[in-house]
Amino acid sequence: MRELVAKYLSKGISRRGFVSGLTKAGLTVTAAQSVLSSVSSVATAQGPAPAPSVPPVPAAPTAAAGGAIKSFQGTGGAAFAEQLIASGVKYVFGNSASEDAEFYEALVDRPQLQYILTPHEGPGAAMAAGYIKASQQPAIVMQAGAVGMVNAIGQIFNAFKEQTPLVVYSYRTDQSRRAGRDGFEEIPNQEQVVQPITKYSWMAHRADMIPETVRRAFKAAWTPPYGPAYIDWHADYTAERVRADIIAQDQLDPRMRVRPDPDDVARAAKLLVEARLPLMIVGDEVYKAKAAAKAIRLAELVGMPVTQFRQLWANFPEGHPLWVGNVPGGTLASLAYPRNPDVVLNVGNKLQHNGPAPIVPRGPKFIDMRIDFNSIGNVIATEVPIVADVGYGLDDLIAAVEGLLTPALRQKAAERSAEVRKFSLQARALRAQIVNGPDWDSTPMIADRVTWEVAHFADPDAIIVHEAGSHTINGFDFNPLGGRELFFYYGGHLGSGVGTAAGVKLARPNQQVIALVGDGSFIFGPTALWNMARLELPVITVIYNNHAYGGPHSRVINNVPGGRMVETGHFVHDYLGNPDMDMVAIAKGFGVDGETVHNPGEMRAALARARAHTVEGKPYLLDVQVARKGIGWAAKPWIPPIQVASLRTKKV
Amino acid sequence: MRDRRMRIPALACVGMMWLIAPAQAQQSAPTASNPGRDLVASKCFQCHTDAMFRDGRQDRRGWEATIYRMVGRGGLWTPEEIKLMADYLGEALGPDAKPALPAK
Repeated sequence: MRELVAKYLSKGISRRGFVSGLTKAGLTVTAAQSVLSSVSSVATAQGPAPAPSVPPVPAAPTAAAGGAIKSFQGTGGAAFAEQLIASGVKYVFGNSASEDAEFYEALVDRPQLQYILTPHEGPGAAMAAGYIKASQQPAIVMQAGAVGMVNAIGQIFNAFKEQTPLVVYSYRTDQSRRAGRDGFEEIPNQEQVVQPITKYSWMAHRADMIPETVRRAFKAAWTPPYGPAYIDWHADYTAERVRADIIAQDQLDPRMRVRPDPDDVARAAKLLVEARLPLMIVGDEVYKAKAAAKAIRLAELVGMPVTQFRQLWANFPEGHPLWVGNVPGGTLASLAYPRNPDVVLNVGNKLQHNGPAPIVPRGPKFIDMRIDFNSIGNVIATEVPIVADVGYGLDDLIAAVEGLLTPALRQKAAERSAEVRKFSLQARALRAQIVNGPDWDSTPMIADRVTWEVAHFADPDAIIVHEAGSHTINGFDFNPLGGRELFFYYGGHLGSGVGTAAGVKLARPNQQVIALVGDGSFIFGPTALWNMARLELPVITVIYNNHAYGGPHSRVINNVPGGRMVETGHFVHDYLGNPDMDMVAIAKGFGVDGETVHNPGEMRAALARARAHTVEGKPYLLDVQVARKGIGWAAKPWIPPIQVASLRTKKV
Repeated sequence: MRDRRMRIPALACVGMMWLIAPAQAQQSAPTASNPGRDLVASKCFQCHTDAMFRDGRQDRRGWEATIYRMVGRGGLWTPEEIKLMADYLGEALGPDAKPALPAK
């Protein structure tokens, strides 16, 4: 039927031929005529703007093509809602926007589309992104015009860098008949503000094009490699009466899965089986393709150690004997093992370069398999570039490797596996000695102690949302195959952690969700706590509170070594104390209970209280006081001597 | 704890990559081979600068605690290696050692 509709719309067949085709497909003549009537409106939807003869009250949609295409008449706002439903959206994350009144009106009788009011656009967008990442389902973020959009831009940026299919809408506060007069909140080319950080940004040029614009945004966002899309339209379009077609997203969205070129796969397989010491890097495309088991299969087949460069998710079981740990520095050279791989296979890691040296150094032969074709070969010399869905790619690579493995090569792989296992066991033992450090029992706690306590507390399938600044977390043994999951970040616009955790919990209500955030990160985006309280999202939020921006403190010293800052202790940019922020009071203001944790002895009991709250459906927050560590920290850090009190001449 | 610019955090690297040779250049006489110094040189060079080391002058306990923090960031050292590195750093880069040279 879908092909018939396409043919008819493209004028490939006549009306009679269309009806004839439908009856041959099993429809009655009456049903076929009804479908014809509905589908005919598709052809007219792109014509002139609808005339006032369109009924003023939204009419019930009529189905065509098995319900995939519906002709809709009503307000632009209602058409917007209808298309969101047809695009598979369940949740709308929004902040109050008066010009979207007709959309809100449409929601009243469409309970399948739930609106989640978020009190700030940034954490609201982070919540939507968290939901999308945890559910792999579409959602939309909406705000009030340009002023709301700019608040969400930070998280749009994160979605762009992290390749999250976030769709964002805001109206243009200007109306179509008085645009361009520098009106209230009006800016020119609003959608272009986010153009560099979206895959697609577009304005609907007519009210009846709202559904089409929405569909295109979702298609762009969800076509790999994923990324955010932004759409807008003049505010009056939402109230305008339109006739438009609502089309189910799966009728036009290819959800593209690309099979790799067989020749490339053959070359890669040959390199892998003939390698002296191959190394596999995994990345987020493995998680998105649900291909972790395939990555394990390939690694075991080849006897290949596995690592990961910074990503959102842990894409390989950290307890697996072939896992050699994350790349701790900026390049593979920082790995303790293997030191000299001769073949490196990347499976779905974006390999975001933060320095001049290539992550995979010159020397090893490099196989890069990703759907993110944009960044393949940009920095790293690549022997075999493979553009593919990594699920299919791994299937084909496994088959090709199996076809090449001789008994001698299998023996070689087994011996290599034994070597890697030996290293991974030793590394596990060496990491465990962290508890022997002289500051382990100190008050205030070191950050590693906090992490260790949480790691020993978390459920076996807990989800850890990590936005604890520059602190590296260990000990969770993340496992994408049913174990603990990591939701990290590398976009770098802070304030996403609490919102992300709220969105993750919304998507995964039956898994424990723990948010680990630094105090600096937390204070950028605490408003999502209110959503946790209102929606009864029982998330445990743990703040590593050193009352400072620890990362920038250390990096500034690195950039200006031996400078006056170190000599005098005058750091203007990093100390957040005096007064210390009371995160528990902030949480309580949003309706979330919590407590301050001062020393290691209090930590376990506090976590137990947190669990008790979450069991009852209540979120809980721990404001854990941690030590400022690193160069140049004074016990009482200096603060700039700005004292307005000396300027005051009146007691007002 | 803030990481807004998303550069690789200096303290998130494998180890402390102080360039020991420039530090020693300030000493009046060459030093004999020292296993702790050799370990620091071999384990820590990828990420950290010598200046960071010299700006971080502290006693042996402080250095030991710093090395253990690096374990939390992926550093893999045996207890004996940690002891040797802490011994060396506490002596060579204690609280009274010369500060880092100002950046040019």
